[in-house]
Amino acid sequence: MIFNLDDIKGDVKRSADVVIIGSGAGGAPLAKELSGEGYSVILVEEGAKFDREKDFNLNPTQSFMRMYRDAGQTLTLGVPFVLLPLGKTLGGTTTINSGTALRMLRPILKKWHTFHGLSDITEEELNLLYAHLEEYLFVQRADPEVAGPVARTFLAGAQKLGLSSGWLPRNAKECEGYGTCVFGCPSGAKQSMDVSFIPDAVKNGTDVYTCCRAAKITTKGGKATGMTGFFVDPFTGKKTGHKIELEARVVVLSGGAIYTPFFLLRQGGLANSSGQVGRNLEIHPCVQVVSLMDEPMNPPKGIPQSSYVDEFKDEGVTLEGGTVPPEIHALALTGAGNKHAALMSSYPNMGLFGAMISDTDSWGRVVNLPRSGYSPTMLYMLKGEDVRKAKLSTLLMSEIWFAAGARKVFTPFAGHYEISSPRDMKALEQSKVRAADIYAMSAYHPVGTCRMGGDPESSVVKHTCETWDVEDLYICDGSALPTSAGVNPQLTIMAISMRCAGFIDDRLSNKK
Amino acid sequence: MDPFLSKYSEDLMPVFVGDPPALAGFEMDAQIGFIEDFMKAGAAEFKLLYFVCAFNFKLLASLMKLKPWSRLDMSDKQAVANKLFGSRNPLLRSVVVLCGLPLYISYYRRHDVQVPLGFDAKALKDEASLRSVSRDRSLPSK
Ligand SMILES: Cc1cc2nc3c(=O)[nH]c(=O)nc-3n(C[C@H](O)[C@H](O)[C@H](O)COP(=O)(O)OP(=O)(O)OC[C@H]3O[C@@H](n4cnc5c(N)ncnc54)[C@H](O)[C@@H]3O)c2cc1C
Ligand code: SF4
Repeated sequence: MIFNLDDIKGDVKRSADVVIIGSGAGGAPLAKELSGEGYSVILVEEGAKFDREKDFNLNPTQSFMRMYRDAGQTLTLGVPFVLLPLGKTLGGTTTINSGTALRMLRPILKKWHTFHGLSDITEEELNLLYAHLEEYLFVQRADPEVAGPVARTFLAGAQKLGLSSGWLPRNAKECEGYGTCVFGCPSGAKQSMDVSFIPDAVKNGTDVYTCCRAAKITTKGGKATGMTGFFVDPFTGKKTGHKIELEARVVVLSGGAIYTPFFLLRQGGLANSSGQVGRNLEIHPCVQVVSLMDEPMNPPKGIPQSSYVDEFKDEGVTLEGGTVPPEIHALALTGAGNKHAALMSSYPNMGLFGAMISDTDSWGRVVNLPRSGYSPTMLYMLKGEDVRKAKLSTLLMSEIWFAAGARKVFTPFAGHYEISSPRDMKALEQSKVRAADIYAMSAYHPVGTCRMGGDPESSVVKHTCETWDVEDLYICDGSALPTSAGVNPQLTIMAISMRCAGFIDDRLSNKK
Repeated sequence: MDPFLSKYSEDLMPVFVGDPPALAGFEMDAQIGFIEDFMKAGAAEFKLLYFVCAFNFKLLASLMKLKPWSRLDMSDKQAVANKLFGSRNPLLRSVVVLCGLPLYISYYRRHDVQVPLGFDAKALKDEASLRSVSRDRSLPSK
């Protein structure tokens, strides 16, 4: 059963085989798998449950304020500022993500084997898990008919230049291209956790408490024994006065790559004998280029993220895109006043595409500094090689837009916002850009902050996702991935979660 | 309504959003009401940052144009905002980026502004409500 705030009339005290904190890509598959094996499972989620009919209204700001952490105002501190939105709702960030469902890049798995002592995670095993997930989540390539003119035009440009490109695989069934996946899919097409793993987990007997923030993991003799927490108003974050106390044989922390390390650091550095909790933050930062076309692009109708160009994926640059509703588009255009207004009046003829950059020498960390509210501080500095990649991908997107017939393009580099001629392109190409020149950056794929590895000195969890320090405490979410997957990570997080379910099953059955 | 928030937002709305051709005029109370809710729901520091940036923007505009804010005309204020947007100094740029963010959102989120731009969320929602995608593998969804 799913317990919403209205159902909670007093303190809750219960026990279960497994308690899972967080209902996103890490937590939800575990709940379904373990409850399917007959274990009693309780899933605790700080965000509220929203409903397709009533709540997914194609209204970005409403969804920022209800389904995103801090109404979407989550920024990294450093140069440049990076907007790093996170979901806080049943289904976690998957409820408000774009639905791209890719397998991780093979060379990155090899890197995990070679540099992180993770050869236990074999390619064969992962491929089996990916195949199962793809079937379960109806993963299929975006339909070019539904994708919309922005994606079709950009791909035509890429093809003209002979670049490797195509349609993205997505976990969406019968998608009609309503263009608002990241604000909650209004038709139920997108197979986020709230419409897939969680309902199935509940059918298997999992109990879910929403609007419930875990505050502490209880331990005894070096073993996890449960958790305590309290119920919160999901909009104000204020405590309602009711508490929760759960006893469990196994506890899983799946709060995501930002809130999981924050949770552990707040608890005095639980599971942090390596000192790695909160470190090694990789975010897969993005830049975008907006184009002005002669023909209508009709944004945001279509599939917001449906096509890709991966010609430079070995260099750590992948292009994916891209349409957004007017209030988000307005933020991607630099300038103010009548200049900005004139640009916005061309919104119907504009396209937007983004590039994701695999972090190489940038530096990131989650820390617990004194702040009001329940918010970690995310530090991130974009450095040399990644700045170069940001420029390379901006130039690449600009060239593709021009090949597709753009009149002008708008880049995020100060001094080069508007490019309308080969001379402007040359100027950007030859300029020595700095991280500080980037006007707007965003990122959607934080990982690495409780990384897994083969060495307890340099990692937080084993390849099984169990922490090195605390027996029966598992960490299973984006934080456990040792590095960026090189692509959008949700499918890999789910695969690691399915794998972890197997190890927890072994542990619990041996304990019987 | 927070009087400071109202005053700053009212002053800065036309500087940032400008006068969009063929789109609806401002609905100041409703837009500022939204900004207030947006800040309440958001990170505690955001509102403070907005005030700091709005104050600094007015100060910079006066210094750059050597006139008090009240005597600057709209084109001067917009020119200063554009100059700061174009700056390679990230701190100066942050002043206008953070001021502009809630103002742009508060205007371009309005249904009557979005429809002429080609985004009719209500119509799309009605269309989506007629469909319900099931996870059933054997039957097509309705
Ligand atoms: C806008 C956007 C678009 C994206 N698009 C894609 C995409 O197309 N494809 C892709 O692969 N990835 C995408 N991602 C990323 C992907 O969704 C995430 O990587 C993935 O969901 C992370 O899974 P997770 O389990 O680590 O965390 P999350 O999915 O974020 O889940 C963590 C959950 O834990 C809860 N929680 C945290 N702390 C507590 C606590 N103390 N008590 C109770 N609950 C707590 C949170 O509220 C949250 O709901 C996107 C992300 C964003 C923001
Ligand atoms: S494009 Fe629309 S229908 Fe398709 S998954 Fe996204 S929100 Fe759902």
